[in-house]
Amino acid sequence: MQALLRAILSPSFAASILRVTTPILFAALGAVVADLSGVVNIALEGTMLFSAFTGVAVSAFTQSAWLGLLAAVGVGALVGLTLAYSHLKLGTDAVLAGIALNLLAAEGTVFLLYVVAGDKGVSSSLPSKVLPDWHIPVIKEIPVLGAILGKQNALTYMSLIAVVLVYLFLFKTSFGLRLRAVGENPDAADSVGISVHRVQFVALAISGALAGMGGAHLSMGYVSWFSRNMTSGRGFIALAAETLGYRHPVGVFLASLLFGFADALSNYMQSLRVPGEFVQMIPYLLTLVALTIYSGRQRKGRRSSK
Amino acid sequence: MKKSISLLLIVLLLTSVMLVGCGTDEGNGEGGEAKKAVLLVSGTLGDKSFFDSANEGMKVIKEELGWETHIIEMGTDPSKWEPTLTDVSAEDYDLIICGTFQMQEKIEEVAPKFPDKRYVVFDVSVDYDKADYSNVYSILYKQNEGSYLAGVLAAMVTTSDMPKANEEKIIGFLGGMNIPVINDFLVGYVEGAKSIEPDIKVAVSYVEDFANPAKAKEMCLAQYDMGADIGFNVAGGSGLGQLDAAKEKDCYAIGVDSDQAMLFKDTDPEKAELILTSMLKRIDNSLVRAVKLFEEDKLPFGTVEVLGLAEEAVGLAKNEFYERNVPQEIKDKIEEIEEQVKNGDITVSSAFDMSDDEMQDLLESVRP
Repeated sequence: MQALLRAILSPSFAASILRVTTPILFAALGAVVADLSGVVNIALEGTMLFSAFTGVAVSAFTQSAWLGLLAAVGVGALVGLTLAYSHLKLGTDAVLAGIALNLLAAEGTVFLLYVVAGDKGVSSSLPSKVLPDWHIPVIKEIPVLGAILGKQNALTYMSLIAVVLVYLFLFKTSFGLRLRAVGENPDAADSVGISVHRVQFVALAISGALAGMGGAHLSMGYVSWFSRNMTSGRGFIALAAETLGYRHPVGVFLASLLFGFADALSNYMQSLRVPGEFVQMIPYLLTLVALTIYSGRQRKGRRSSK
Repeated sequence: MKKSISLLLIVLLLTSVMLVGCGTDEGNGEGGEAKKAVLLVSGTLGDKSFFDSANEGMKVIKEELGWETHIIEMGTDPSKWEPTLTDVSAEDYDLIICGTFQMQEKIEEVAPKFPDKRYVVFDVSVDYDKADYSNVYSILYKQNEGSYLAGVLAAMVTTSDMPKANEEKIIGFLGGMNIPVINDFLVGYVEGAKSIEPDIKVAVSYVEDFANPAKAKEMCLAQYDMGADIGFNVAGGSGLGQLDAAKEKDCYAIGVDSDQAMLFKDTDPEKAELILTSMLKRIDNSLVRAVKLFEEDKLPFGTVEVLGLAEEAVGLAKNEFYERNVPQEIKDKIEEIEEQVKNGDITVSSAFDMSDDEMQDLLESVRP
């Protein structure tokens, strides 16, 4: 128990939370943008996979991690646009199209991996690049905070910046206002001359691009290669974080942190021989508890406003 | 008009199929009486583990023993595996080879329906009490023996004055899932480590997923943070995350199943240097051995064989990194213990024979 407390109170545990949170946070922000425009983006999981693969492949061929990231984001946006096209232009159900994209990504990336690397499991034969860790000079000197925030992967910092940017975009720009109007009531938005489809196209492209950064973090920040299905459900956890965070960038940030905390906690507890079955349960248990508290408070809020 | 065209097309199609069929038949005839074996992969190749090793074995069977070999990758959808097995059983293969615990029920279902077909299953055994499986030969591996050596190595490294070894006597273990076959590795590893250093501590984590390297990396970072300076990964695709963690923390790692240092030799030599060795599960050797015995009509169908160090079915990878980075005295000790395990002077416990309580006691004794 003492060892556990010592581990949890250490700055490296807090740093671990931020690392675990990064991919989920990116995807959850993507979920927010799509959802607020009125389309549920179920394809986040597949988008991340496609981007994780693209990042590795492009960085291996260009020998530039940043070009890899750029390509990953581009492919993410492209997957978002594909979803938009099939849903908005061809009239497919957004959920079905999303599931189809996820399945396509799961097997499609393995196929592409085989074409590019001649391997069906892992891209370790490709000389791919990793996005650098950034050292933040001033923060690094502060005792505890420095160990947590002083040195993280570039994308981890970007995810924190993305929270602010997405917030500003959605709530402080006129396009964000239009986007939310479209999601709230497309007919009303249409009646005042907003092109509903155009807004949703853009929203899904942004959503995909954000998920793409999450995917790039997995294969070019977290680990240094692509392996099949390496997203392992993070795209779906992001959807949960989005709901839990009440479709607001800041709420989503906190919800993602909660998932990250639970995951990091389970990683630390395991090695101290707390029964594995219990540890595996923690993230889901915490989600349930959080949801219960959340819905309880919401009901209370509604009652008091009456 | 339409009808006659479609009829014509059907006739054309049928004749072309027949012609193609004839073509391959003739091809076989030319090759003489080559025996045919098929490997069914319940997943895909490229796992850097069992299936790739089995694939290597099939190559030897083809090139050195002159068999005609086929490899069918059945994909990741388990609902397709049993139909494929049934289809293959209806064809004229002399040996049908498949493996992993996921295939157990499928073999148990299909094999009795084709009593004149011969099956070899690796890394799992059918339940011979259940039905008549006199046409099935099962291979199990003493991964506990190989892991014992890995444990010896880890304990000697962590107590040594090697450049990246620290003061604390803690070593790491990363398991894919909390299942008997993984725990068999763990039991051997712990026993091997304890034989060198009775006070050793082993940090154990399970990813509970064979394809989540990011989570695996996070767990191993936690282990290294806690004072481990060497870790052993037994977690399939997830296990590669441990190697990344080792590089980040500049600590040592031990790979599994295939020679994991070789994976990174060209693309990430720095990481490869940290992988002191890998505990190999030589599916290839065991399959070649089975086929040779089959040719001599000595393969004991209807039974399970457990192969270990003595049959070279498990063992440490003694590659260039092992030779270069492991001190001579450790290498000598490993040779010595390897001999003792082979000739039975040391017997290693197996998770398959242990009760849950015994297992817990063993792990409790090394809890950090």
